[in-house]
Amino acid sequence: MATREAGKKMIMLKSPDGMEFEVEEAVAMESQTIRKMIEDDCADTAILIPNINSKILSRVIEYCNKHVPTTGATGAAASDTVAPAALAEDLKIWDAEFIKVNRATRFDLIQAASYLNIKGLLDLTSQTTIDTISDNSLEEIRSFLSTKNDYLPEEEQTIRRENQWAFQ
Amino acid sequence: MTTSRRHHHRCSPTKDPLDDDDLLAEILLRLPPQPSSLPHASLVCKWWRGLVSDPRFRRSFRLHHRRNPPLLGFFGRDNALSFVPTLEAPNRVPPGRFSLQRGYGDRFVSLGCRHGLVLIFNVPRNQVLVWDPVTGDQRRLAIPPEVATYAEMATTNGAVLHAAGDVQKFQVVLVVAEVEDEEHKRAVACIYSSETGLWGDPTSAPLPSGHDPTLIRHSAVLAEHSLYWMLASMLLENFVGILEFDLEKHSLAVIQVPVHMLEQSQHRFSIMRAEGDGLGLLFYKDRGFQLWKRVTDYNGVASWGLGRTIGLDKLSVNLEGNDIMILGFADENNVVFVCTRDIRFMVHLESSQCQKLMGTYSHYHHPFESVYTAGNSMPSILLVTKSS
Repeated sequence: MATREAGKKMIMLKSPDGMEFEVEEAVAMESQTIRKMIEDDCADTAILIPNINSKILSRVIEYCNKHVPTTGATGAAASDTVAPAALAEDLKIWDAEFIKVNRATRFDLIQAASYLNIKGLLDLTSQTTIDTISDNSLEEIRSFLSTKNDYLPEEEQTIRRENQWAFQ
Repeated sequence: MTTSRRHHHRCSPTKDPLDDDDLLAEILLRLPPQPSSLPHASLVCKWWRGLVSDPRFRRSFRLHHRRNPPLLGFFGRDNALSFVPTLEAPNRVPPGRFSLQRGYGDRFVSLGCRHGLVLIFNVPRNQVLVWDPVTGDQRRLAIPPEVATYAEMATTNGAVLHAAGDVQKFQVVLVVAEVEDEEHKRAVACIYSSETGLWGDPTSAPLPSGHDPTLIRHSAVLAEHSLYWMLASMLLENFVGILEFDLEKHSLAVIQVPVHMLEQSQHRFSIMRAEGDGLGLLFYKDRGFQLWKRVTDYNGVASWGLGRTIGLDKLSVNLEGNDIMILGFADENNVVFVCTRDIRFMVHLESSQCQKLMGTYSHYHHPFESVYTAGNSMPSILLVTKSS
């Protein structure tokens, strides 16, 4: 349901658990998936976002609100008086706080970012996941993944031999 | 969505991105661009190995990290294209991983590297090769006649680069210093585009007279939309100026440097990308590096300004009063290669960190900055087969 409010075009997003979120079109269009729907004129009525529950969708909207590159009602977003570097720094700090969530929520956010095609959110969530495991040992990574080492010892040796330099 | 490796994983009550090929690939793309990243990820389990060995994943991985490629090492201009790694273990890619098969009658001279590609002058055949050492892809191009006449002499230089924003296409610029008469020389340049498969018309610019200038064999530096090479006098080896090739206008020009630099040895200089982009100059003086930047004012008048200075005394290198010689500059990583009579080392200009170098010596180091993803080939016994 596209409506107008204070000169801004609004759009309705619906989660599968029945919640509705009215957001500025510009904010919704941070998602390339939604942008395409709007540009293809498939978004006259409310847009149902499948597979993303209201809790996650509200977090996604919160992220898009913060990152939408316009001036206006969304708080500390871009402003002519704020230097771009300071703005970027502000966003970085905000992102770091935003992503302080438990593993399940982070994974839900990755899926949502991927489905909705929001590059910045996908970068943030994926990078955070990699950062939590990349300094860990193989055993720690496997334990994090609840996965088992499914290599036979000789297979593992073959892989190590193939790139011996990388295991020195 | 795939179910290929569910049996490797716990039965998660909610869908886990780490159980999904596409999402896991998306996450693994963010592994650090260091060479050991993918071999290490391969050891986690067969599923991960399957993903990071996929050629599509490797292409995406290189693409994702193309703006922050590690400095893997360098090719020496004078040492028959042998690669010298500079990273420490476990990221030290052995030289054998980057070797180019020579055909009968080939003689290879490196002209420099950029965007993961190496530009090679095949002297006897009047050809240049564009080589991707990571994928092994190579293209051979005949040097256009306007340049070929002079190319056999030691004054040939060039550069290879990916066209802006397009990793599928590349451009090659070749430049030679050509004698017009006893007093005058000029530079002639030609640009090749892989998109058209053609060399453009040659463009030229007169070189400063009275200095017998020649092109130095350092690799080119890319700043904003131009390529730059150093000019020095042939006999005295003094710094003479900078040659600029504008990639948008396809024009050549000589850029003047501050007068007090002209009496100095070429070996004390390197062109660099200035902090915040634009043309910069590194000048070794009084046991430190001066960082100069060329700025243009509102009236279009260009001048040189001195930025910060990095004192080498603070580094853990004992120069013992020796003069130093700049061997090369890696512009993606902001690293300068230098040597004294006894030692060779790299200085990271941002951190002022210093690292000693061992192994092969060359007067002209052509830094190779790329994302190394090879070496994860999958023997068939280890292939993860899709199960239902």
